[in-house]
Amino acid sequence: MLYSSQAVAKPYFIAAIALFAVQVLFGLLLGMQYIPVNLPFISFITFDAARLIHTNLLIMWLLFGFMGSIYYIIPEESEQELYNPKLAIQLFWVFLSLTIITFLGYLLLSYATFAKITGNQFFPTMGREYLEQPTIIKLGLFIVLCGFSYNIAMTVLHGRKGMINLLLLAGIVGTTIIFLMAFYNPSNLVVAKYYRWWLIHFWIEGTWELIMEAILAYVIYKITGDRKIVEKWLYIIVAVTLTTTILGIGHHYYWIGVSEYWQWVGTVFSIFEILPFFFMVLFVFNVVNCTKCQYSNKAVKLWALSTPIMAFLGAGVLGFLHTLAPVNYYSHGTQITSAHSHLAFYSTYVMIVLTMISYAMPILRNRKIVNGGLSQRFEILAFWLMTVSMFFMALFIAIAGIMQVYIQRATDLALPFIEIQNSLMILYWLRSIGGVVFLIGVIIYITKFLIAKSNNL
Amino acid sequence: MSQDISEIPDRKMAIIAESLYLLNLLILPGIAFLVLVWLFIKYDNISIGISGCHLRQTFSASIWVGLLLVLVTWVMLSTMNHDSPYTWMIIIPYFVICHSALVLLGIMGLAKALAGKKFHYPIIGPSS
Ligand code: HEM
Ligand code: HEM
Ligand SMILES: [Fe+2]
Repeated sequence: MLYSSQAVAKPYFIAAIALFAVQVLFGLLLGMQYIPVNLPFISFITFDAARLIHTNLLIMWLLFGFMGSIYYIIPEESEQELYNPKLAIQLFWVFLSLTIITFLGYLLLSYATFAKITGNQFFPTMGREYLEQPTIIKLGLFIVLCGFSYNIAMTVLHGRKGMINLLLLAGIVGTTIIFLMAFYNPSNLVVAKYYRWWLIHFWIEGTWELIMEAILAYVIYKITGDRKIVEKWLYIIVAVTLTTTILGIGHHYYWIGVSEYWQWVGTVFSIFEILPFFFMVLFVFNVVNCTKCQYSNKAVKLWALSTPIMAFLGAGVLGFLHTLAPVNYYSHGTQITSAHSHLAFYSTYVMIVLTMISYAMPILRNRKIVNGGLSQRFEILAFWLMTVSMFFMALFIAIAGIMQVYIQRATDLALPFIEIQNSLMILYWLRSIGGVVFLIGVIIYITKFLIAKSNNL
Repeated sequence: MSQDISEIPDRKMAIIAESLYLLNLLILPGIAFLVLVWLFIKYDNISIGISGCHLRQTFSASIWVGLLLVLVTWVMLSTMNHDSPYTWMIIIPYFVICHSALVLLGIMGLAKALAGKKFHYPIIGPSS
């Protein structure tokens, strides 16, 4: 570690990994409820509550992961200590409390009760997908994001300004500003949906994508040691991201009740949303080959080279598959969407956070870049278990989605929803098996850190 | 380091070959392939450097593209029952997986060409 304030990243990473495990556990529970397995521990919680926990914890832990990564990168890139390390730790505890309260609220209370207790009636913002958190939790999260942006901005402004840290700054300031949309909830459903997508789409395909690209560039720079060429590629990738993603938002506007020209705008621009992922693959394979790097942490290299490939498949290919308006007309909101959601979230944000943790954690724990041999082998095994099982989960669900579209929408059969779900049972079984393998991967991943610890003793 | 890369002889031709392979897959199916065939016939025998390598690799890989994506898909489409959902549950994932794997290989080939290196397409490229 070059700067002692980089250590604030550690609690963020630990929280991220713990919440990741819980999120996946609830994903598995959801998967089990799709197949009627009547074990008591599966049905103790309703599907909607488990889904809330699954998706909301995902967003929360990814934010923990981003914050940890950025706190780690910024001092090094700005060549000075973090502006206010104490604030970073205080915000960590605030954010963790918010997350745990939200989690317990979803778990123990009915959603209506939770809304009532937290005063949703005074300022209603709840009940929209991914924005289900109580209004005061949202407010808390906004304050955390503001404090975080402030801390990073002050560090960047006082230090060396490079492509990577300026991009990270832009990413988090953008994330914070866009989050304001969470408080705008007009009663007209069309208008409400119109603006809700600003938040969802501009986060996951805009500002978060910029953060991802900056983290990837940082790790690749650390692997190859060639800053110039990394920054050159980063310019291209960022430029392509910004030019495609903004009007690409049209792919969420096809059927919500706005003007029809959005079908053209969304289709044309979101086709090109694959390009950033195309360039990311080109970038890593070009750069990592250019330099005869002797980088010894094999796990980091594996994560960093695989992230763009998987992102190309999950966000790029599966995104493209249903982004054309005439296709989306059939596939909108089916299991095809779910297949894309899973592979895209896993491949872009889960993998980039795990890449960064893989790089930074050994250093944060004074392990001089490389972990012990056994712990490294555990991490690589966990990588393969998680990545391969997620690939197959997405494949099974995409196949289920094709069947669903066929019998529900493309033909005159138009069977009732539940009957259709029954005919997809085998694929839901396969998904759950994939989920079990994924969870085993997560457990091995966590074991890795415990092994590394005992090695040191 | 990045300066001498551009001086590697026939790096340009290698980049063009890989780009044509990708264009054939992504935007100009058929047309880009014909251009690639023309380049292959015209330059393959003369060049022993990286351009020869990339030309031979992409030429061979493009023929596989034709077999896997056009021929196999056409055979499946013409023999399988279009009124069964199972047909589409097989053909669509088959096509998407094959196509994206071939595109990914092309991106890696292009990355190597840009770096002035040789690239061997696993399985679908000639071994020399
Ligand atoms: C950057 C990573 C990406 C992530 C994490 C991601 C994630 C998601 C998620 C979670 C949804 C579901 C939203 C809902 O609940 O309705 C979604 C929907 C969608 N995504 Fe992505 N996505 C990414 C990139 C892309 C790209 C690059 C494209 C286009 C090429 C795309 C096209 C779409 C489309 C068309 C929908 C709407 C599906 C529907 O109509 O049901 N996504 N995405
Ligand atoms: C890192 C791993 C995971 C990520 C990033 C993730 C992400 C997501 C997202 C974004 C959604 C919302 C999907 C949508 O609205 O289309 C979702 C829903 C869901 N996830 Fe996951 N998930 C993960 C792991 C799992 C696992 C291991 C399972 C177990 C089988 C699972 C099963 C489900 C189910 C059943 C739903 C509900 C879909 C529905 O509403 O029908 N997930 N997940
Ligand atoms: Fe989007």
